[in-house]
Amino acid sequence: MLGLRRALLALFALGVIFAGLDVALALTSSHEDQKVVTAILGPLIGLSFIGTGVFAWWRRPLNRFGLLMTGVGFAWFLAGLTESNNSTVFTIGSYVEPLYLVIVIQMVLSFPTGRLETFAQRATITAGYLDVLAVRLPFFLLGGDISGDLTGPRPDNVFAIVDAPDLADVFDYTSTFIAVVVLVATLVLLVRKRQAATPPQRRALAPMLWTGLALVGLLGIAFLVDILGLPSEIGDIAGLLALISFAVLPFAFLAGLVRSRYSRAGAVGELIERLNNPEADRSLGLALADALGDRSLKLVYWRPSAGHYVTYDGRPVELPEAGSGRAVTEVEREGIRVGAIIHDASLADEPGLVRAVAASAALALENERLEAELRARLDELQSSRSRLVEVSMFERRRLERDLHDGAQQRLVALSLQLGLAKRRLEEGEEVAAGAMLDAARDELARALEELRELARGIHPAVLTDRGLEPALEALAERAPLPVSLDQMPAERLPAPVEAAAYFVVAEALTNVVKYAEASTAAVRIRRNGSYAVVEVHDDGVGGADPTIGTGLRGLADRLAALDGRLEVHSPPGEGTTVRAEVPCA
Amino acid sequence: MLLEAEGYDVIGEAPDGTTAIMEASRLHPDLVLLDVNLPDLDGFQVAERITAHNGAPAVVLTSSRDSSDFGPLVSGSGARGFISKGDLSGAAIAELL
Repeated sequence: MLGLRRALLALFALGVIFAGLDVALALTSSHEDQKVVTAILGPLIGLSFIGTGVFAWWRRPLNRFGLLMTGVGFAWFLAGLTESNNSTVFTIGSYVEPLYLVIVIQMVLSFPTGRLETFAQRATITAGYLDVLAVRLPFFLLGGDISGDLTGPRPDNVFAIVDAPDLADVFDYTSTFIAVVVLVATLVLLVRKRQAATPPQRRALAPMLWTGLALVGLLGIAFLVDILGLPSEIGDIAGLLALISFAVLPFAFLAGLVRSRYSRAGAVGELIERLNNPEADRSLGLALADALGDRSLKLVYWRPSAGHYVTYDGRPVELPEAGSGRAVTEVEREGIRVGAIIHDASLADEPGLVRAVAASAALALENERLEAELRARLDELQSSRSRLVEVSMFERRRLERDLHDGAQQRLVALSLQLGLAKRRLEEGEEVAAGAMLDAARDELARALEELRELARGIHPAVLTDRGLEPALEALAERAPLPVSLDQMPAERLPAPVEAAAYFVVAEALTNVVKYAEASTAAVRIRRNGSYAVVEVHDDGVGGADPTIGTGLRGLADRLAALDGRLEVHSPPGEGTTVRAEVPCA
Repeated sequence: MLLEAEGYDVIGEAPDGTTAIMEASRLHPDLVLLDVNLPDLDGFQVAERITAHNGAPAVVLTSSRDSSDFGPLVSGSGARGFISKGDLSGAAIAELL
């Protein structure tokens, strides 16, 4: 960085030497009418380009704009060689004189990156260079008159090989004609550049673009006057105005810089004022859009629990990809990510501005983030709640059906059997009555068994009384296949967590028995930080689909109500693993 | 009532687990018929305490629930066995002893 700085200082010193040479040439020129004016304005204009260019180069070393601007300054000094009385120097000066105009047009067209972006831009500038350096060359070689309207001693054209001034003039006209075409093309390209720009880009472009448009337009008029042979006063006025526009360019560039700095300070100040005003009821997103002058600006909020960004409404959102014309500036508060600003990519040229605005809005953004997080949770809660209601309705219907088809039918049958037994006793048929009473007892035993099964499905007593492990041991013992309890938590977990874990295992084992064709199953429950992790693995056929069937879905909803998660891993042929994570603080 | 009708001699009764443990060590019965659902301790703990020393009385657990509700708790408690209340009879107890 220090090396660059030294080199740039040396470059500027070189510019000063060139300026001194130009002053000397102008003051000693035998064909310059306006010696003092030229000796003052010439170096000023050249140095203002070199100075501004070196400054821009130093601030943005990777941006070629500073290089172009410095180049314009040196080319301008080269054009000053036409002040020389020496024919060789004068001829060289005449040959390279228009070069600074091509460079300046390239500079304006490539503002602010310093790179020509479209094919049309590159073609136009290439045509400009070819016109100046190639099309005009025969004019010199054919002995064209290079000092036609000069007063005083006329330096000779030292490039002349043959003396064919008429033929040389053809090339002169051709070159001027091409120059006009290049200028018109540049005008069109500048207008297009403005149209294609987004509002924040347009604001940054404005001073340079308008000055450039004036310069190109006026140059075009001056050349047209020359070609069409119109009164030369019009051409002189246009040329003078073009020169003024040209001289103003470095200041237009500086004005743009100051303007964006000023607007930066203004934007941040305004934003802070607005954020501190409790009566301002417009959203933070709008305030930021105003502060940055980007209507398309969007705010997104970080949801750490979910690991993605959400909108203000709490809906998940994807960040734009690089190259989509949108850029992302992440906002942190006290080192913690709270959100991001999605804005026009051109604002990325002013990262300081976006960051300053983001920093002043971080607290407000954090507040909105919490609201967005809340809304997102609310959404999830509402959907899982409605599913829970559905599940509980479904379970009630199932309970009713089970009670009706099972125990209730058996009790009705029992009542009938007891009635029959009583009649047999009244009739004195004691043996028959005894048989009926035996049948009634069997019926009663079955009714009891069914009621127990139902009660266990609602909530097993041993889980409440003794905890998860005894409840799971009982569950494993009842299962028709060997179930090993490989790992159990050392201490009791909160009741809702134990219940959730129990039902995960119960449902998973039910599925193992029904579908898995497994020979064994294993249960593991452990604490992992603030989570209880429940895993049920079987060695069956796999291929289970958790989205089918109400059992696992209902479980997933029960878990969601506790902020938990259910995963089913079931590759065909490799058994099934049901894994649940239940938060337990 | 049921037990006396079937020839058992009832020498003491306890309303909760703590009293049951004290009464069992005071009265030295041959058999303690213990409900799993007690107001203070649960039946398995009481059974463990009563059967902890040599010469302890036999304990039979009973409940309106089924033994499969409790799994290995029954065998781990030191009790001779478990009889669901619906199946409770002198003959069922005699079978366990």
